[in-house]
Amino acid sequence: MKNMKKLSTLAAGVLISVVAITAAHAGSKVPPLAPLGDPPIPADNKMSAAKTKLGKMLFWDPRLGGDASTACVTCHEPDQGWGFADAFSRGYPGTVHWRNSQTVINSAYLMKQFWAGSAASNEKQAPSAAKGAVAGNGENDVMEARLAFIPEYRKLFNEVFGTEWPLISDAWKAIAAFERTLIVKDTPVDKYLAGDKKALSKQQVRGMKLFNGKANCIACHNGALATDQKYYNLGVPTAERWNEDGLAQVTYRYEIYAKGVTQEMYRKLKDDPGFYFRTKEKKDMGKFRTAPLRYLKYTAPYMHNGAFWDLTEVVNFYNAGGGQNDFTDGTMSKNKTPILKPLGLSETEVEDLVAFLEGFSGQELKIKAPKLPDYAPLPNPASN
Amino acid sequence: MKVISYKKRVTSALFAGLIGTTALTGAVIAGENDHGPVKMIKVNAKKAELGKRLFFDVRLSGDAAISCATCHQPDKAFTDGLALSKAYPGSKGFRNTPTLMNTAVRKNWFHDGRIGTNLNDVTREMITETYIMNMDMRLMQERIKQDPVYVKMFKDAGYGEPSNGSVRKAIPEYLKTLTSRNSPFDKGTMSASAKRGYEIFNGKAQCASCHTGANFTNDKAYNRGVPENPEIWSDPMRHMTYVAFGLFMGIENIMNIRRDVGAHILTHKADGSDIGKFVTPTLRELKYTAPYMHNGMFKSLFEVVAFYNQGGGDDKNKDPNMKPLGLSFGEQQDLVSFLEALSGDVLNTKAHAWKDKIPTNYETIENWRSVKN
Repeated sequence: MKNMKKLSTLAAGVLISVVAITAAHAGSKVPPLAPLGDPPIPADNKMSAAKTKLGKMLFWDPRLGGDASTACVTCHEPDQGWGFADAFSRGYPGTVHWRNSQTVINSAYLMKQFWAGSAASNEKQAPSAAKGAVAGNGENDVMEARLAFIPEYRKLFNEVFGTEWPLISDAWKAIAAFERTLIVKDTPVDKYLAGDKKALSKQQVRGMKLFNGKANCIACHNGALATDQKYYNLGVPTAERWNEDGLAQVTYRYEIYAKGVTQEMYRKLKDDPGFYFRTKEKKDMGKFRTAPLRYLKYTAPYMHNGAFWDLTEVVNFYNAGGGQNDFTDGTMSKNKTPILKPLGLSETEVEDLVAFLEGFSGQELKIKAPKLPDYAPLPNPASN
Repeated sequence: MKVISYKKRVTSALFAGLIGTTALTGAVIAGENDHGPVKMIKVNAKKAELGKRLFFDVRLSGDAAISCATCHQPDKAFTDGLALSKAYPGSKGFRNTPTLMNTAVRKNWFHDGRIGTNLNDVTREMITETYIMNMDMRLMQERIKQDPVYVKMFKDAGYGEPSNGSVRKAIPEYLKTLTSRNSPFDKGTMSASAKRGYEIFNGKAQCASCHTGANFTNDKAYNRGVPENPEIWSDPMRHMTYVAFGLFMGIENIMNIRRDVGAHILTHKADGSDIGKFVTPTLRELKYTAPYMHNGMFKSLFEVVAFYNQGGGDDKNKDPNMKPLGLSFGEQQDLVSFLEALSGDVLNTKAHAWKDKIPTNYETIENWRSVKN
C-alpha cells in the first residue's frame, strides 16, 4: 500500500506537468493507472453458474445469426485475442465488416461498447452484433424460434430465467454474463501496481515512466482500465482496404447510409466518422473511444480500423504526434485532438514503452469450446 | 408486439381485405365463365431486362447464397419441384413454392394471401424476410451500385442511380413478362378427353366456382381440408421456421399448435373458424409445378382430383360446399387431361431467363477517394 501511495503521488506529480503543457486537459485531473478490480455486475442481470454456462454455449452457437453460420465467437476468437486478427472483422458471409473486432476480454468494465460507444452494455452489444447486416444478420424471431427447438436450451433457459420457452432477450443476458467471466486482471502491470516490484522488468518500469510522463499516454489511457472512455480523433490513417477492395467499398457505403448521414455527406465521405454517428456533430467526426490497453499482446492489429499491426507501429504513430485523416486535415473537418504532439522519444524509449504496454497482457485466456446441443422435434403439446 | 426492424417493415398495413370469407357460391354454369387466354402485359423492355438479371442474382440475398430463381426455376414454371420450399440457409420452408406464371394478374400473393397490394411489396417481402432471402435492402442497394453492369442498366432503364426502390420496380416489371402462352386450351387443340374434362370442370365437379378467369383463380381463400404436411412438425428446421413466421405474424399459442393456420393471419377470428384457409391457386402450368397444394401434399394431379372427388379432407373448418363429387374413374382422368391442357410454353430461354454469368464478387472502384459515392 505504501508503495502504491508513492506511485500515485508520483503519477500525480507527472500529471501536473503534463497538464501544464496540454491545453486540452488544463485543470482536469486524470486518475492514475491502478490494478483492476472486479467488474461491475448490473442489478438486473445477476451472475450464476448456470447462466454463464448457458451464455458460453450461446457465445459459440452460430444459430444466433442469420444463416446459422456466424456465432459471437466467429469474430471474437479466443486464439485471436477474443477478437479477429485482421484489420477489419470478417463480417457476415458475402460481406466484410468495416471496423476492427475488439477483444471481449474485460469488456465487462466498459461503460459503452463498440468503437464509437453505440451500445450501453454487454447486453446491448450482443444483439446489435448478432443482427447487423455485415455482422450476424440475424433476426429476433428466427433466432428465438431456433432456441425453442433445442431441448437442452429449453431446460437451461427455464432453470436460469424461469420461462417456458427461451426468450431471445434472455439469450443476450446470458451471453453478457458469460462475457463478465472473461476477465484478465492478473497482469504484470496489475501486480506491479499492487506492490510487487518484481512484476515488471527494469525496461518496463522505464516504459511506465514514459507512459506517465514524457509520452503523456496517461492523459487518456488512465485509471484501472487504462482508458478514460472518451472519444478522440488521433488522425489514424484511412483504411487502405477501401482503396483496393470492392467488397469493402460496398460495406463502407452501406454503413454510412445505414447509420444516417446527409445526402451531401453520403457522396463525399471516404472515412469512418465514428463518434459523429452518436452526436451528429461535426466536431465529433473521426473520433473513437480511447482503447483499453489490457490484453494488448494478443489483440493485433490495433486501432478502430486495424491500421497498425504491432505495438511498435502504434507507439511510433504517437511519437510522431499522431497522423492525418479526412477529419483532421480539413477535407471534412479539423478535429485532431490537441493532446497529440510529437513526443521526441528515442528508439530505446519506444522499445521501453512497448515493453511496458505488453505488461498489460498477462496470461492468454483460453477456453475449450463447449459442445453445442442439437435441434430436436418439439414434443406434442398436451392438448392441441 | 415484436419490434420490427427495417428489414421487416410490417406488412399488416398491406393486408387488404381481399381474402373473401364467403363460402363457395353456386357453380358457374358451363359456358358462362370468363376462362380464356391470359392477356400479355405490355412492359418496358429495359426495365424488365434489368428485373430479370436481378431475379437471377444471388447477391440479392443476405449471405449471397440464393437468388429468387433458386426456388422459382424457369424449367419448372418458376417453382422448385419440392413439396416444401428450401428457404434461406439456416431455415427450411414450410410451404410449397408457388408458380410465378401470371403472378402479375393476381389480386393477392402467397398461399395465405397476406399481401394484397402489388408486386413491389411482394418483392420487398421476399428479399427482406429473414427465412427467405434475409437481405438488408440498404446493403443490397450498395452491392448493386458496385456492379457497373447494373449502374448502366438502371440508367438505361430510366431509373437513374441504382436504388432499392428501383429494384422493387424492376423485378415486378420482369414478372409481368411471365405470362402463360400456347397451352392446348388457349390454342383450341385440346384432346377429346380434355374437352370432356372441361365440361366436368365447369359442371359436375364445380371446379369453376373458384377457379375462375383467365388465370383460373378467384384469388380467395378457402378451407378444403388439405391434410397437414407432417414433415413441417417432425423436422425441427421447418417447424422453427414456421414458429418464426408465427411469432412475427402474432399467431396465438404458436408453440402449441401443429397446423398451418393459413389466411387466419389476416382475419384472426377468435373462434379459429378461419384457420386452414388457403388461396385458390392458378391452374396454369400444372404440368411443371408438382407437387401440389400449399404444402405439397399431393404428388400428382390425379391425387388432387381424387381428393376433391371425395369432398376434400377432414377439417372442422372445411368449406361446406366441399362435397363428394361422384366422379367416375374415367371422369377423373378426363379432368386431369383438361388440367394438363392448361400448360403451355416453358419460359426457360434467354427471353425469360438470365443466361449470362452474373459475377458473385464486386469490382473495385478505381480512384475511390476521388470519385463521389
